[in-house]
Parts: sequence; structure tokens; C-alpha cells
Amino acid sequence: MKYDFLDNALLSRLGSLPIESRVPMMGNVAGKHRSPHRGSSVEFAEYRKYVAGDDTRRLDWKAFARSDRFYIKEFEADTNLRAYFVVDASGSMNFAGKGEAKIQYARRVAASLSYLLVNQGDAAGLSVCTDKLHLEVPPSRRAAHLDRLFSTLGKVEPSGETGLLGALHTIAEKISQRAFVVILSDLFTDPVGLGDALQHLRYRKHDISVFHLMDPLEIGFEFDRPHRFVDLEDGTALVAEPSLIAEEYKAALRDFLTAVRAKCHDAAADYQLVTTDTPQEPLLREFLTARLPKSKH
Amino acid sequence: MVFLNPLLLWGLLAASVPIIIHLINRRRHKTIQWAAMQFLLKAARESRGKKKLRHILILTCRTLGVAALAFAAARPIVSGLLGWGGGSIDLVVLILDRSASMEAKPGDGLDSRRQIVLDKVREAMADLGSARLVLLDSATVQPQDVPSPEVLAELSGAAATDTAADFPTLLSRAVDFLTETPGRAEVWIASDLQTSNWRPTDERWAAARAALTTLPQRPSLRVLSITGATAPNNAIRLLGSRRSGDELLLDLEVLRAEDSRGSTTVPLTTNLDGARTTETLTMPGQSLRFQKRVVLPAGSESGSGWLSIPADGNPRDNAAFFAYGPARPVKSLVVSAPGEAANYLALAAAPPGFGNQSSEIVAPAAFASMGTADLAAIVWAAPLPEGASATSLEQFLSAGGNVLFVPPGSASTTAFLDMRWTAPADAEPGKFLILKDWNHTDGLLRDGVDGTPIPADRMKAIRRQVPEGDAAPLAVWEDDEPFIVRRVVDRGTAWFMGSIPDYTWSNLGDADVLLPAVQRMVAAGADRFDASYLATLGSDVTRTLPGETRVRLDDYGTPDPSNIANESGVFRLGERLLAVNRPIEEDAPEVIGREGLDEALEGTNYTLLDQAGQADDPSLSRDIWRAFLIATLFFLISEALLCLPKKSTTEVLPQAPKVEA
Repeated sequence: MKYDFLDNALLSRLGSLPIESRVPMMGNVAGKHRSPHRGSSVEFAEYRKYVAGDDTRRLDWKAFARSDRFYIKEFEADTNLRAYFVVDASGSMNFAGKGEAKIQYARRVAASLSYLLVNQGDAAGLSVCTDKLHLEVPPSRRAAHLDRLFSTLGKVEPSGETGLLGALHTIAEKISQRAFVVILSDLFTDPVGLGDALQHLRYRKHDISVFHLMDPLEIGFEFDRPHRFVDLEDGTALVAEPSLIAEEYKAALRDFLTAVRAKCHDAAADYQLVTTDTPQEPLLREFLTARLPKSKH
Repeated sequence: MVFLNPLLLWGLLAASVPIIIHLINRRRHKTIQWAAMQFLLKAARESRGKKKLRHILILTCRTLGVAALAFAAARPIVSGLLGWGGGSIDLVVLILDRSASMEAKPGDGLDSRRQIVLDKVREAMADLGSARLVLLDSATVQPQDVPSPEVLAELSGAAATDTAADFPTLLSRAVDFLTETPGRAEVWIASDLQTSNWRPTDERWAAARAALTTLPQRPSLRVLSITGATAPNNAIRLLGSRRSGDELLLDLEVLRAEDSRGSTTVPLTTNLDGARTTETLTMPGQSLRFQKRVVLPAGSESGSGWLSIPADGNPRDNAAFFAYGPARPVKSLVVSAPGEAANYLALAAAPPGFGNQSSEIVAPAAFASMGTADLAAIVWAAPLPEGASATSLEQFLSAGGNVLFVPPGSASTTAFLDMRWTAPADAEPGKFLILKDWNHTDGLLRDGVDGTPIPADRMKAIRRQVPEGDAAPLAVWEDDEPFIVRRVVDRGTAWFMGSIPDYTWSNLGDADVLLPAVQRMVAAGADRFDASYLATLGSDVTRTLPGETRVRLDDYGTPDPSNIANESGVFRLGERLLAVNRPIEEDAPEVIGREGLDEALEGTNYTLLDQAGQADDPSLSRDIWRAFLIATLFFLISEALLCLPKKSTTEVLPQAPKVEA
């Protein structure tokens, strides 16, 4: 295996599940995703009155015969999907408590979904962000492109403070067409700022999914002795007796998670809190299944 | 507080183990790279205070729990006398009540109160270790070093006596001693709190308390009271003794416990110069007063004896001693102009049948030239004396004589002892002057020894003269004017009676009032001749004069030769024959209680250790290791409760997706 974050068996089992977009996409080639434009696919959309200039080939003559009025028969336009995987590479993503490191978990999720997307003819791109670094792999549908994407993922070394918010705003500004934005981060940033960034993406009509990655130790905060906690991002150190502050810690974390969930909900983002000890297959299977349109499910 | 296993107190060092573990744990922290630092910092900020206090409490409980366990293992003993603060005393001054009442036993077969308290002090001193013990007993009022608490009960200075105690003096003496003896001291007062001994209203308390506060190192004051119920007890006491010819008249009183009910019989043994007779007394109530006539052997000049009742709850109050001297004629003098009143008064002073009594009537003018040394009493029925007569009368009074003044019958402005008579006043026509009230327990009209009252209400007067001046009224007319007043002059007494035994004045001559009044006055005057044979223990006359030796004559009980000066009995002091009895106030059961103690020892922060009802408690010291064991359990349970995790808030965290594997 060239990349340790790729699981071929998993990909083959998930291959039968399509990745659907929850909003119409505006791809530049035909695909399997809905487009905001009407086109000539086989999927009937609606009737509308004929107006001068319309293509007469699309007139529904049978309807004219019944009603003596001209109707244009419109069909859904299918297009391809462009996905951007935004991977937070701040120092905190390097934390590995009871599970694997959050960055490794993010690599697995991003790589698997990228593979599935390209495999179904959609384009996948990558954006890796820190406060100092912003690597970007533009989306592409070519299979050969995946290697570049995986290679970039494999080289990511988390460090420094998070640059997630800036990266999200940049992406929102830079991507002109609708896209599927998948955020993989521990979101250790200001929830208000995060909400603004998500709203920015939402304003650009992007389909947003947030994988909020947390280590089980960060949630349970179970320690049996005093610890010296050293911040992974800025190196700040604090000696504390965890049993004495566990309650306050959990309360603060609860408030944070509640705020993040609310911000995602406000931005119509698909939010999932994922602990790094969660097996990937059921996670991705549920994620993909939940995105299937009701009529097709 | 002392410890039976003091070496185990080293276990107290283990109390530092929780602290040491805590400090080591703090230093043995593990370093971890942490991502969610923002929550950690916030939690650390918010957890200061309440959580820190809880943690300190847990640590304190652990430490105290271990310390209490170490204390329990060391078997601490706390003495009821010492309390908690008695561990480092240099000197203990024990004020021991050796009064007769301290010989009462709390119950049949038990030791006396004095012995019980001595045992407790001995045990407490053993707990104290090397503290110096100084005994200040109520009988000698002299501080005495006790070489060892073990011999305390054997010291003559701690033996039983028939004396009373004077606690104001004892405390002052203790303070004097402490003034000369620096060091951390405690004053222990062991007493039955008898009111007559403590005298809580005595002015000397204030001086004693003030002296106590001036000590450089103020001693702790602990009062060990031994009160409460006693074994059944009767007491006999001699109220008075008077020789009348060949008879000895003994005024006696037998007492029972205050809660006694019904009548009982008490055998009374009389020992007169070695000859014993026994008779049975029937006591209808709680006390029986009676006069016993003891027929003296023919030609007996002097002698002695004792009366006793059987041994009971207090062996010190079962005997009364008496002694007598040669019979003396009881002479009285009536100073008056001849007349009916003078005859009545002379008859009352020496009634027919009283062979040794005689009376003589003299004119006032002749009095100044007469000798008064052998007179028992004088009845003065003339204008109040002046000049040489007054001087002679004052000398007679100072020597212990009794004088009864009756009105001169005419107005007079003459004063004697600052007393004077008002002008004669008649009763309202058709009405009599009648006595409204008189003192039934004191004075010339007091009730008889058997409780029979004097029928003074039968006296009717139509004329009177009222005595004026500073004197104690003992009987008053219906209009509250005094009829009889008393004025004490040195050892003697002057009586003023406001009517004359004359039919133009009153029926005073009918003998209902006049005879007992005059006879009592004469008897009181004659007592000064017999009183030299009776004394109360502790009075000046019981002390030996230079050149005198004390020899006990009676054979009652088992005298303690080393304690002879503090025991009652019949003694020969040099040439003097003296029957010494315990102070009658020792028979009074009243105790001062907490309020009285507060009054007497106000501001001294004394500690009262009341042993009432615990007389069968063999020791004041208590093994209190159980208390420390309970304390250990308490601390450990508290620690466990404090360590219990609070209801976790993990459940309210937004859950990660539950997915099927």
C-alpha cells in the first residue's frame, strides 16, 4: 500500500454507494448530479409556457393538441460535482490520545471520499491550512489526479495555530461555482468566526459538510494523576490535577460543542462530531446513505 | 491528658503522610501534549476556590484521621479534674474541705465524701506526673507540701475533723501562698459546697478575687463538688447546757434527713463521767428539740459526758459533749422603788422552787454602791440610770450580764445606751393594748425547746411606755410600736419591755409573759458562768494558751491523737475543763449551688466538676481512646464523602454518532 491512510477493501465495499450533493451543482460536464439549469436529460422537471425565442424542438406537441396552448417541456440538467476537502493542519490536529491522531483520521476520510468521488466521475480537490501554510490541490476528475491529492495529504505535518477560518473564507471567495466543501477539523477556533466562515460558504451556495474530529480523551478527560499539559499549537504549559477541574473542563467543552453545532446548523452545514476511535466504514456508510435523495433511497 | 502508650504518639508522624503523598504527586506529574487547551485554561480559572477548598478539606480529613488513629492507639486518659488543659502544671494547691459534713457517705458501704475526693485527687495527680501538690486544709488553713499524692489520704492534714470551713479565708490564703510561689499553678477546691462554709455573700470574697487577679500567673480554679444524696443520717447537737443545783439541763436537738417521713425511734446514749444510760427517743418529724435533765452525782463539783446516737451516714454528727462546773447560786437584782411591780419582778426572777435562784430588790439610789460581779441579771424598773449607776450598769453589761429595763412609770428624758422611754400612754377607753406579733425563734418570747409558744397574746395592757432608740424589736403592739427590744452591749444584752406588771398598767404580772421572759433573761445572764465549760470547735477558747496542754477526757469513738485540736470532745486545757462540739451550722444541709458559686467566684473563670450522683465512680479519669477512634471514623467517612465523584456531566455532552460496526 502506497498510502497508509487508504483502505482498498473499504473503498471497494463503499463503491456501490454514490456521493450525492444536497444542492444542485454547476459542473462544466455532464454528470449525475442535479444542476440548477434545465437541460435535456431524461429526468422531467416541469412545464412552462412557451416564450418567443424558445427552442421549438422542446415544444410538447401532445400538450398543444390537448390544450391548444404551447408548452415547453423542461428536463433536469445533470452535471458533475466538484468537491473541496478542507483539512485543518494546525498543531492540535496532531493530538493522539486514545485513538489515532486526528490528522491521520482526517487523511483517511478525505482520501476515501476523494477516491469515491473521482471514481463516480466527480472532481475532488484539497485544501490544507494552517496559520502559515495553505496547500491547495485544484479539483480534477482524472484518476491520475488522485495520486497528487493523496501525496499532498500524506505530506501534511500539522503544526502551528489553526488557519481554518481564513482558509474557508478564501475558498468561499475563490470558488466561483457551487461545490461540495468537506471540512475536516477539530474546530478549535472561535465558534462565532467559524459561523461567519460557514455563512460565507453558504452564501456562495456551497454544500457544506463538517467532520468535527475529537479525540475520546479530549471528551472524556479521564486522567488519574496530575499532568503537565503542553499546548500543541503555541507550547503553553499548565500543570493541573485533572480530577479537580474535570467538571469545569467538560462544561466548557459542552458549551463549545453546542455553539459549534448551532453555527453549523445555522449555515445548513452537515455536522458530524466524530471521535477518532470511531471505525471509518460505518461512519462513511452512514454519511453517504444520509445524503442520498429520499426518492432514490 | 496523659497517655498510657505514649510511644505510640510517634504515630502522629504518619499524619504527615497524606501531605507528603500529595506533594510528591504534584511533583510527579506527567507531561502530555494537549490540543483542547482553551477549555483547560478556562476550567483551571473557574475551578480555583471551591474545588481547592474541597481538596484542602479532603487532605485535612486524611491528616486528622491518621492523627486521631495515632492518638487512639496511644490510649489517652483525660482526668475530670485536669480536663484538657491540665497537662503542664507546676503546682496544684488543693483546698480541702475537712468540715464535719464532708464525712457524710454517699451511700451505705461507701467512703466518705472527703475520702472520695482525696482518691480522685490522688489519681488526677498521678496523671499529672511531677506537679507539686500543696494541701491547704480547712482546719489548719496552713499550706502543707504533700510529698506524694499516694500519701495524701494518710496525712493528718487531710484527716476527718469536726470543724467548719471558711472558704473566703482559704482562697485568700491560697492566693497568698501563690504570690510567694511562682509557676503555672492550679487551685483545686474540694468541697461539699455547704452554704455555711462558703458564705457566698461574704464581703471577703471580693478581696480574695481581687488578690487572685493580681497574681503574675493567674491560676486556673477548679471546684470539685461532692454533693448529692447521702446515706441515711441522723445528727445530735447540744444547743445549751446549764447547771441547776444537782441537775444539768441540756437543750438538745436531734435531726433527721430533710426528706424523712413518718416517726422513728432513736436510741440516745448518755455518758456522764463514764456511767452510761440509754433511752429511746421517738422522733415524730424531721427534728426533735428537747431538754434533758441529767441528775448529777451527789456532791459532784464538776464533770463531763457525752450524748450519742448510733453510727449512720455521717459519724461526725452522732455525739454532743458537755461539761459542767460547780453549782453557782443564780442571783438577780431588781432595781425599783418598792411596790407591786417590784414584787412581781423579784418573784419572776426567783420563783419559789428554784432553790439556787435568789433575787433582791434595791432602790435605784443604792445600786451604784453594789457589786454586780456575781449577779446573773438585773431588772431595772426605775428611771434610766445616770452617772455612777449608768457606769456600773454598762460594766455589768460588758461583762456578759443581762439587764431587763421596764418603764419607770413616769415621763423621763434620761437616756441610757442612747435609749429612752416615751411618756406613759393609755389605751383608748374600753380597749386594750394587745401584742400583734413577736419573734418565735429568738428573744425572750421565743417558743420553747419543744416548740410550745409563749401565750403572749393573752397579755392585755391599758398603759404603756415605748422604748425609743437603736435596738432590735422582738415583739410589737398592734400599732407596730415595739413592746420588747434588744440592745447587745459587748458580751451582755440589754432588754427593754414596754409595760409594768402592775394592775394599773397590764396583766403582765399574770406570769404568762413575765415569768418566761424574766427567767430566760436570768438564764442567759447565768450562762456566762456555765458557758466557760462549753465551746464550739474553732472558737478562740478552744485554742491552748501558753503553758496549757490539751488532754482529751471522754472515751467516745476513736480519737486521732494527731488531730486532737480539730476534733470535738471533752478536753482539759491546762486547768480548764471544756466540752467542744462541732459548729451547729455543719448540720445545715443547704448547698450554694451553681448560682452561689458564680457569686462567690465571680470573674475567676472557675471550672465546676460536679460529682453529684457519681460517687460510685471509682475515678475521675476517663479512658477516651474510643472518642478518638470515633473521630478517626468520622474523618475517614468525611474524606470518603468528599471524594465521591459528583454527578458527571459527560452525559450532557453532544454525542458522537453511534454507528454500527
